[in-house]
Formats: sequence, structure tokens, C-alpha cells
Amino acid sequence: MRLPVGVKVAVFSLVVMGAYTYYANSIPQIESKPPQELSLEGGNVTPAQLVKAGEEIYKTKGTCEICHKIGEKGTRAPDLAGIGARAGKMKPGMSAKQYIIESLINPNAFVVEGYPPIMPAVDKPPIALNRSELWALTAFLESLGGTVDVTLNDIPATAGAAASAAAVAEFKIPGDPKAGEAVFAGKGACIACHKAGKLGASPVGPDLSQIAKIQTPDYIMKKILDPAGAGTVAGYPKGMMPPTLGQTLTAREFTDLVAFLQTLK
Amino acid sequence: MAPVATSWTRQSAGVLLFSALVAVALLGALPVEAQDAAKEPAYRSFPLIGSRLAVWAVAQLHLNFAAFILGVPIFAVIIEIIGWRTGEERYDWLSHELVKLTFAAFSTTALLGALLLFLFVGYYPRFWAYMTSIFYPTYGVYALLFFAETFTVYLWYYGWNWLRGSRKWIHVGLGILSNLFGTAILFVANSWVTFMMSPAGITESGALQGSVWAAINNFTWMPINIHRLIANIVFGGTIAAAYAAFRFLGAKTDEERARYDWMGYIGNFIALAAFIVLPFAGYWLGREIYAYNQTMGITMMGGFMSWLWIIQAILIGILFIGSNYYLWLGMERIPGSERYRKYVPYLLMILAAGFIVWATPRSMVVTLDEARVMGGTHHPVLGFLGVMSAKNTAVNLMILTTFLSFVLYRRANRISAKPWATTGMALQWLAFAVAAAVVTFYGVYGYFVESIVRIGFSVYQVLAVLGAIVVVMAIDIPMFKGARSTGTIRWGTIAPRSQYVLILLAVTFTWLMGLMGFARSGIRQHWHVYGVLRDSSVDAVTPALGYAANMITAVTIAFFALVMFIFWLGGLGEKGAAEGHGHAPAPAIAGGSDPPA
Repeated sequence: MRLPVGVKVAVFSLVVMGAYTYYANSIPQIESKPPQELSLEGGNVTPAQLVKAGEEIYKTKGTCEICHKIGEKGTRAPDLAGIGARAGKMKPGMSAKQYIIESLINPNAFVVEGYPPIMPAVDKPPIALNRSELWALTAFLESLGGTVDVTLNDIPATAGAAASAAAVAEFKIPGDPKAGEAVFAGKGACIACHKAGKLGASPVGPDLSQIAKIQTPDYIMKKILDPAGAGTVAGYPKGMMPPTLGQTLTAREFTDLVAFLQTLK
Repeated sequence: MAPVATSWTRQSAGVLLFSALVAVALLGALPVEAQDAAKEPAYRSFPLIGSRLAVWAVAQLHLNFAAFILGVPIFAVIIEIIGWRTGEERYDWLSHELVKLTFAAFSTTALLGALLLFLFVGYYPRFWAYMTSIFYPTYGVYALLFFAETFTVYLWYYGWNWLRGSRKWIHVGLGILSNLFGTAILFVANSWVTFMMSPAGITESGALQGSVWAAINNFTWMPINIHRLIANIVFGGTIAAAYAAFRFLGAKTDEERARYDWMGYIGNFIALAAFIVLPFAGYWLGREIYAYNQTMGITMMGGFMSWLWIIQAILIGILFIGSNYYLWLGMERIPGSERYRKYVPYLLMILAAGFIVWATPRSMVVTLDEARVMGGTHHPVLGFLGVMSAKNTAVNLMILTTFLSFVLYRRANRISAKPWATTGMALQWLAFAVAAAVVTFYGVYGYFVESIVRIGFSVYQVLAVLGAIVVVMAIDIPMFKGARSTGTIRWGTIAPRSQYVLILLAVTFTWLMGLMGFARSGIRQHWHVYGVLRDSSVDAVTPALGYAANMITAVTIAFFALVMFIFWLGGLGEKGAAEGHGHAPAPAIAGGSDPPA
């Protein structure tokens, strides 16, 4: 039996695409995940923990390793082996930590001879390290042949400001989700209008069963405190959501509620 | 007599007009929509597959169709001009055939564009509100261009019979005008896409600073304009050639086979001619990405995306070898080509060697024990072939080899009658040798200099290859003018496997487009607008290549299924009117020509 041309062409095309797909699935599979935010402000952290956190940032969010090698001369950027010892001698009157911090947030202030001025300010997007991360990274770089003496206060208060503006993805809500579930079903009376997974069934307001998947924490918080200002979801009546939750809920109940909503994915 | 417009094409035109009106109405409503979106959630979740996959699928499909309908008219109008100036009716038939294909795909493109817009507004409202805050002035321009393009294409297609004879220049003018409008539409849409990659003209907080022109004219805008324009021609050529191949394989008569053999050859010729210069446009784009942001450039080439370029190398290697193989098979239907067949094994060897070098990864996938034995993840010998110096050299030599294949094909049935032919050929070989020497020299020298110097060497390599192409053709054209013929090309007698090569090229190039789209979008990583508007959705993770490949394949299958359906619909109206144009054995263009006896 002769196969129709269309079938032959279709099978041929599928085999070709299948081969490409198979190959692409056979090579190293590397995802690019959004970096996590690190916050050390107010927390007790040992120098060893700080250096470890800094090393992690060096290899991941900071993207330093793309250009800077440790113990290997790079063509794009200087070798950072022993930078902790060298940094204090790079610019007169500047300590090691001051030089490192300046190099991170204002890299063009001093460019090592023989290298192009290509380093981005790491406290600005797209890298956008925050103050805690700059602190940890500086500690790690100091540890490469030097003494770790950097404190959070050494990092300029303005550094990383752009990071907090752009980075809205990851931060931990300090509340208790279980207690928040009780607020949702009890004092907050959210259950009267909203469904949240197995809780509630009323179609009055939007279903919140996947709210954390589709909304940011700042929107959720704003919507609770200022429902009208945050807008009404299309298809639902305006002005139904009570504007008084900001007054009736305690701060703890509010954070618990937000923490619970953040679990709905 | 030209084919008449069928009722189906009229219906298609109706859909097209409706789509245009919907799109324009939607664009007009966007500012209001954007204001509402600012109060809306940042994201909504698309049922079942999620918002990202929905946008990915529709965007890739839209781009595939858009590339086809923008690429094909560029060479369709050139073919029409050739037909007009030479008086060869067959060129006019071919041009009309090509425009018919694009016309059939036009409404689908518009509908997919509207659907993409709905998805952005509905599922990424905050992102779209931000884009609107920057690019609102361009929406009106886009809408006007869309109208202008639609009506010009209408007139071009439906006026084919009306604007014949002494009015043909008006018809050709419409074709040129529709191409200008189409290119302008491409440029406007590219400004949005490139702004997402390399935003410019904004403050640190992302607000527009001054004129929108600064946002449009960002680092990657013009390189992508040029890269896409050329790639669209390649894509259009491969799809038109694949269509011809399909018709060839299903042909019932020798005449039909001859006609579609010729059409396939022309499609492949156009694709190949544009494809040769595409890597140069790619270099420029890559350089501008580095110039905009080193981190982005390094992430693209040496970061999590580095293996993508190995897949790209394999695909482009297949395109090069496939195109050459088609030319070599085509030479078998040309009397007199026997004298050049002895070169084919050597050409194949160069292409195969180039393919192997280009597809050599810098780092190997090895076990810990293997890595210890090798002293790292770089192979002690082959690792040297995995760097840009070797790869740039390989691709430039492959381009030269492909051009040589074409030159041999072009003169397969012709013997120059010029007294200076021997000198001319010697000069041509010299041009090839000089270009190959320059490319090789800078390839080797690149190992001994810093990367910042090495990047500049690729410019010299490119110039050497382009220079050789110009010199060889400048000699070739006058040298074979009035040449003696060794026989007529036997159109339709090419081996059927050659038609599968044309289909392979179309499938591979479409898949490659999907992969490059992933590369362009993926290098933004977790940013909607790089460094300005962060992706805080659940889909902020940039997937690995396997996941991307699965998606690209699924969309490519959908694209070809839709294309086959649309072409089948187009073919329905053709039945009974197939003999509208006279089709004597087809002549050739720019190469496989039948010279005057």
C-alpha cells in the first residue's frame, strides 16, 4: 500500500523534530531561578556564617563568578585570589573593606589596569544586591587572604535601594499561616465572600484558592487595607469588600492572615 | 490568463479585514485598558497550562506566521519585477503563487496577533500597563501601518489582472509599498520586544524620560530589525520551497513536477542567499547585547544558556549541509554538470569538518573521574575547538563553501565564451583562497590575544568572506553573459529525496526560529523588562533547554498543521483553474538558467 504524500511528509517532519527534541533533552538541563533575597539586618550572624552566605552570593545572585575567577587569571576581570590582603593597598587611605565596597557599588571609581571597565554596580538592577547581601559579599571577599571586619554599618544606607524597588518577588511574611486561617474563617469573616481551597464556598467575591500564585504579597496587603484603592477584580461588584479590616484586625492578625493567603497556590 | 480570485480568498479577505478592524479597535482601547490594568492584579492564571505557556505558544505561532507573510512578499515583488522586465509569464505566475500563499496566512497572523494582545492584557495586566506607559504613542502608528499594509496587500493581490500591461508599474509599486508598510510594522513591534531586553530612555525607576524615540532606538532595536528582516526572507524561502516540494511529491504530471521543481529551486535559492548573510547580522546583535550589558552577554554565551548555542550549531550545520546537498542533487538534472561533480566530496569534507568544530562544546558532560583524568571539564584537545575563534572560522569557511557550491551550480550547463575567462576564473579562485586564508589566520591568531581583541577579529573574517562573494560575482556575471549552453535543465527530473531536503530545511529553520526566540526572551531571565520590571509571577524561573525544546516542537507541529490546512484551503479554490497560467518547462533565475543558445 502506498502511503499518501501528506502522511510521509508528516512522519518525516515529526522524526526530524523528535531528533532535535531528544538531543535538547540529553544535554545538561540548567534552569535560571530568580535569586532569593537575603536579609541579615537585626539578626545575629557569625563571621563564618556571613562568609558562607557571601560565597553563595558570589556564585549565584551576584553573578561575580562569570567574570572573576579565584586562583585563575581571567581575561575579563582580575583574579580575586588574595583580594582580602591586596585590597587595602589598592588606593591610598582606603581600607580593604572600603575598597571592596567601593568596587562593588561604584566599580568605575577605580579600574585595575589592563581590564575593561565592564563591571556593573551590583546594588543596581539587574543584579540588585541589597545591603545584607553586600555585607555578606564583602565579608567573603575579605576572607580571601584578609581579615573579616566588615559590619552592616559599613555598607552605605543608600546602597541597594534600587534592589528593594525592583525586587518584589521573594520575601517572607512573618505571620503564622495557621493562625491566619483562623482569622480568615473567624474574625476577618473573609469566608463569607471568598473561597480559599477547602474553606468557604460563596461566589460573592473572587476565589482565593490560588491567590499566591497570581498575586504579589504587596497587592494582597494593600487589598486588605485599602480594598477600593487596590481596584475591583473584573466581573465582581465594586464596594463589597469592607474597608475597615485595617482598623479591626490587630497587626499580628493582619500578618497572620497575609501569611495564610500566601500559602494558597 | 491569470488565476481568478476564488470565493475562498474573498472569505479570507473578509476575515482579514475583520481582524484588522478588531486589532485597531483594540489598540485604540489600550490606554483605557492599561489604566484599568494598573488597578488589577499583577498576574492572572491561564487555565490548565498557565499564563507563560499560553503566551509562549501564541507568540511563537504569531511570529512564525508574521515572518512568513513579511518575508515572502519581499522576494515575491522582486520576482514580479523580473517577470515584468523580461516578459517571462512564468515569473509572474510564481510571484502570484507566492503572494497567494501569504494572503492565505495573512488573516491567521492578524488573529494570532489579536489573541496575543488579549493574553497580555488579560494575564499580564501590570506588565502591559507599564509597556503602554512607555509605548502608547507607537500604538496609533502601528494601527495606521496595519491599515495601510492591509489595503495595499488587498490591492496588490486583487489587482493582479486589472493592473497588467501598461499599468504593471502601478502593480509593482503596490508590491513595493506593501513591503515598506510590512517592514515598518516589523520595526514598530521590534521596538517593544527589544525594549524588554535592553531598555533605554527611562529613569532609574522606569519612567519614560523625554521622547519615546529613545526607548524605541535602544541598543538591540536595529540589530534585531536587520536580523529579523533577513531571517524572514530565509524563512519565507524555506516555507515556499517546502510547499513546492509537497506539491512536487504529489504531482501527477511531468509538467506539474517541472513547475514545482522550479519553484522549490527558487525558494531554496532565496533562502540560501539570505541565509549566507544571516550569521553576520547575528554577530552584530550579539555585539550590541554585550555593549548594552556585559552580564547579559556573558549569561547568554557562557552562562546557563551556553548549551543552547551547541544546539543552534547543529541546526545551522544541518541547514548548510542540507542546502548544499540540494544543490548537488540539482546538478544531476543539468547536462554538463558532470565536470564539477568531482569537487563535491571535498566540499562535503569542509562542511562536515566545519559542522564538527561548530558543534564541539567547550565543556564536556563528564563524570567526576573523567574530569579528574582530563584535568577539568575541558577536553585537552577538543576543548580548543569549543571556543569562538574556532567556531567563527568554521562558520565562515562553511559560508564560503556553500557559496562555491552555488557558483558551480550556476555555471553547471554553461561555458564562458569570453576570451578572458581563464584569467577571470583564476581571479575567482584567488578571491576564494585569500578569503579562506584571512579567515584561518584570524581564527588561529585569536588564540593568542585577549578576548576583547579577539571579538574584533570576527569583523575581519566577515569582511573577507563578503569581499570574496562580491568579487566572485562581479566577475561571474559578465563572464557568463552570452555563455555557450551544454544543455537545458531537465526540470522535474530531480531525485524525490531532494524534496525531503527542502522539507527538512523548512522544519529545521522553523525550529531554529523557536529556539532563537527562547534565547532572546530567556536572557532576560527573571525580568519582564530587564533591570526595570521584575517577573514576580510563579513562572519567573527560566526553564532548561529540554523543557524549551518540548515547547518549541509542540508549537512547530501546530504551525505546520495550520500551514498545511491553510494551503489545503488555498488549493481548494485552485482546482479547475490550475491551468490558468501557461506552464511550459520553467526557466531558472540567478543560477540554474538556460542561457540563450
